[in-house]
Amino acid sequence: MNKKIGVYICHCGGNISDYVDVEKVRQSVEKDEGVFLSKTTMFACADSNQQEMVDDIKAQDLDGIVVASCSPKLHLVTFRAVAERAGLNKYNYVHANIREQVSWAHSDNKPGATEKAIQIVKSAIAKARNAETLEPVKVESVKAVAVIGAGVAGMRAAIELAEAGSEVFLVEREFFVGGRVSQWDELCITPETGKELVTRLYDEVMKHKHVTLFTGAELSEQTGSVGNFSLKVKITPRHFKLQCAEGSLQKAIEVCPVEVPDEFNFNITTRKAIYHNYPSEYPQLPAIDMKNCTRCGECEKVCSSIDFSQKEEAINLKVGSILLATGFDPYEPKQGEFGYGEIDDVVTLPQFKRIVHYCKDKLTYKGKEVKNIAYIYCVGSRQVDGENKYCSRYCCTSNIHTAITVKKKYKNIHNFHFNRGIRTYGKAEVWYEESSRLGDIYLQSFEHDPPVVERREGQTFVKIKDLLTSNKELEVAADLVVLVTGMVPRKDNSIGSLLKIPKGRDKFFNEIHMKLRPVETVIDGVTIAGASQGPKNIMESMNSALAAATKSFSLVASGELALEPTVAKVDRAACTWCGKCAEACPFNAIDMVGGNGNSVAHVNSSVCKGCGMCLPVCPENALELIGLSDVDMENMIDALIPTA
Amino acid sequence: MARINPEFTDELKKYGAFDPNACYNCGNCTAVCTLSDEDNSFPRKMVRYSVLGLESEIQASLDPWLCYYCGECSSTCPREANPGELMMSLRRWLTAKYDWTGFSGLLYKSLIASITGFLLLALVVILFGFSMEFRMNDLLHYGHYFEVGAIALVASIILLPNIVRMWYQTVKKPGSNAGLKTYFKCFGELVVHMFTQKRALGCDDNQLRWFEHLVLVLGYLSLLFTTVFLDWFSTGSDFIIFLGYFESALIFVVTFDFVRRRIQKDQEVSKHSHPSDWFFVIWLFFMGLFSFMVRLFIDLNILEQNMWLYILQLIVLVQWALLIVPFGKWTHFLYRSFAMYFQKIKLSAS
Repeated sequence: MNKKIGVYICHCGGNISDYVDVEKVRQSVEKDEGVFLSKTTMFACADSNQQEMVDDIKAQDLDGIVVASCSPKLHLVTFRAVAERAGLNKYNYVHANIREQVSWAHSDNKPGATEKAIQIVKSAIAKARNAETLEPVKVESVKAVAVIGAGVAGMRAAIELAEAGSEVFLVEREFFVGGRVSQWDELCITPETGKELVTRLYDEVMKHKHVTLFTGAELSEQTGSVGNFSLKVKITPRHFKLQCAEGSLQKAIEVCPVEVPDEFNFNITTRKAIYHNYPSEYPQLPAIDMKNCTRCGECEKVCSSIDFSQKEEAINLKVGSILLATGFDPYEPKQGEFGYGEIDDVVTLPQFKRIVHYCKDKLTYKGKEVKNIAYIYCVGSRQVDGENKYCSRYCCTSNIHTAITVKKKYKNIHNFHFNRGIRTYGKAEVWYEESSRLGDIYLQSFEHDPPVVERREGQTFVKIKDLLTSNKELEVAADLVVLVTGMVPRKDNSIGSLLKIPKGRDKFFNEIHMKLRPVETVIDGVTIAGASQGPKNIMESMNSALAAATKSFSLVASGELALEPTVAKVDRAACTWCGKCAEACPFNAIDMVGGNGNSVAHVNSSVCKGCGMCLPVCPENALELIGLSDVDMENMIDALIPTA
Repeated sequence: MARINPEFTDELKKYGAFDPNACYNCGNCTAVCTLSDEDNSFPRKMVRYSVLGLESEIQASLDPWLCYYCGECSSTCPREANPGELMMSLRRWLTAKYDWTGFSGLLYKSLIASITGFLLLALVVILFGFSMEFRMNDLLHYGHYFEVGAIALVASIILLPNIVRMWYQTVKKPGSNAGLKTYFKCFGELVVHMFTQKRALGCDDNQLRWFEHLVLVLGYLSLLFTTVFLDWFSTGSDFIIFLGYFESALIFVVTFDFVRRRIQKDQEVSKHSHPSDWFFVIWLFFMGLFSFMVRLFIDLNILEQNMWLYILQLIVLVQWALLIVPFGKWTHFLYRSFAMYFQKIKLSAS
């Protein structure tokens, strides 16, 4: 029980004192039990006042502090720090909000506001009387990080973590690294190809002895918490011992009778069951896709490196942090969306890029030469009626860059951009400029009046009411219609459910705070990077990968973590283990211990966030929050009820 | 529904110096234009139509003729797309479209064709002079006949049908249902604008240019009258002789200033000169100068010894009357005033 509490009532320069009689508040609480000192102050957060508080605590040997001021979101940490500077445990500080909850909310009723402020301060004093000294929970942290996804973001993060001194396990679901970027040719702004970028990162990854790369590998189980995650990784075999002898791989691919749509080329071509996406791909070892392989055995006859005896393996990893860089999928238009799937001349931007990759001197599609190309923007993004309200950020730039490439690579190309406002932000603006100078035609409409793709007289037309031509109805006879599709979360995003990563309204993984904590998730120890978090271009993915790597490293760097002590606590004598608390816990922090009729709940304090969801569901009232116990609550409620 | 034709700008570029790809649709050109209004908003709309290749929309529009090229749009264009010159190019292109003979388009697009035409006509005149053995009286006589005949023929065979075609494209085809009464009521508009170019006063910085142009038009028309109907070269009346001197002097003085400006390029309007612009001002200058000199030589009684001068004057006159008047920039004089007339008719009818 604290007997010497200091109470400070803040004017907030008039924000509070214009409506609340702060002196009356001070007088009303100065005689309260345990209050040793009470003051009003113009700005409690001012350096001079903070120093005065430190001096008061030291000189008067105060054992509890209450500041009645603004929201704790603004200054809780400030005043906790004041307590610590004066040598007082920070949990002996209690914050009372009389600005957002009183003066600003009740500016029309000054006496009422003052009355409410008095009660709020009294209740804070009641809590301060019972405040305990708490120490942070210390847990051991394994100096290793699992990076999920070996695209450019994952590889960049892995390199950074390894250089900082962490052990890194780089886990890739596909048989090959590079992700989406390996599918692009020349990139925007830097004249490099996606493959070159991937190669550079892969070479660096391989140089580091602290990075272990797993391909064909998928996370299947996760237990533990920040500092100490246990992961089970399932590894699908490639069925190749080593690289085939020169020529015999080509033969093995030739003899394979299976043909399936090639996802690497967005299904515009087919591939065999034994495959690699392109000759110099990493790791430079082909793989057999056993989902489609018929085990006819033809390939074995021409290539001795093929080994069908390889079995699926499961390995266990211990890591202190997990970094997710699982990327995105391109939006797949619905059947009939701008003629997609119904009119032959309609393709998506990713497909178009692959078509351009394969066409050398003449741009052809399905045997027909292409000269007039209509690009329809914001397909699958900025939807009015659909779910994807967001802008996918990369598509305007990527499409304009592709249109320029096409115009320079082939003769007599005419580009028509059916857009809803071009967003080639930042340095990419120069490409918009170049495309215009090259004679590309831009036509614009609002979201409610999208362009229409139709087929008549053996020709595909795109029609629009063009904003830039005073809403005149215009049409283009197009040889090819390119739907500039945006980014959506991975179709198979089961890793998010496995790790319980919350998703935003856009269905991408969600960070804690967009601006202040942009790479952390509410699951302690799990960080997110790249386009798994939302649409990003390569530059932005690299930024977030480096940020996530730094954040993950900070969790494993010292081998030890200090966590908030304000977590749930089980009264083992009262608990009868009904399991309701474990069900209610959003963080999987509660499990059962004991057994044989003596089972009780156990709270993993490094996972628990102190949210209190488990408390009201317990039929035995066997759970309590440290730092906000039932007694604390009751005392505060009592203080809130006017005694008169 | 209008079909976009991206090849159109390639065709249009042959008629003038502008950059259709530079425009990013900001509309500064229209905002700064003092002649643009709600009924006829330009030049942005015409720039956009040109970029999209909406030929029939451009053909149906009178806007290019309503612009008097102060050049303000070009000097304030943030992308240096040169909308003023685009409007000029559209006027040339429209001239070619109105002309049923197709010579306008040929002469505008091909400098070689123009020079060939000029040389051929010069040759014909020289051969004619040769066949007359360069007898002064005969040549003066036939020269006068030529003037009268050329005016009648060019007006009836070329200019009148072309005006009718212009009317069809811009008034009839777009669906104006103006009655005959409206045509009579608005006729004053045609006369006023033909002789005064009043609308050009609406251009901000244009007072001097307008005045010079007015002097030139009046000088040119009255000199035409003086030579054709008062027979300036053969008259004995001192008043008519003096009048002819005065008019021809006005022409070469004013056109000299026009040529000077095109060489110095000190104003937006004179920065870009298409060959047809040079032909127009230089030939007009020659016409003034040579007819002044011819009359002077007659008065000094030395023309007979200097028939080269008269042949030169005749060559310039023939080239002017058979190339520049029916197919060249001279037609702007007609189309501009008829555009004002047709515009008034369209507005009155709607």
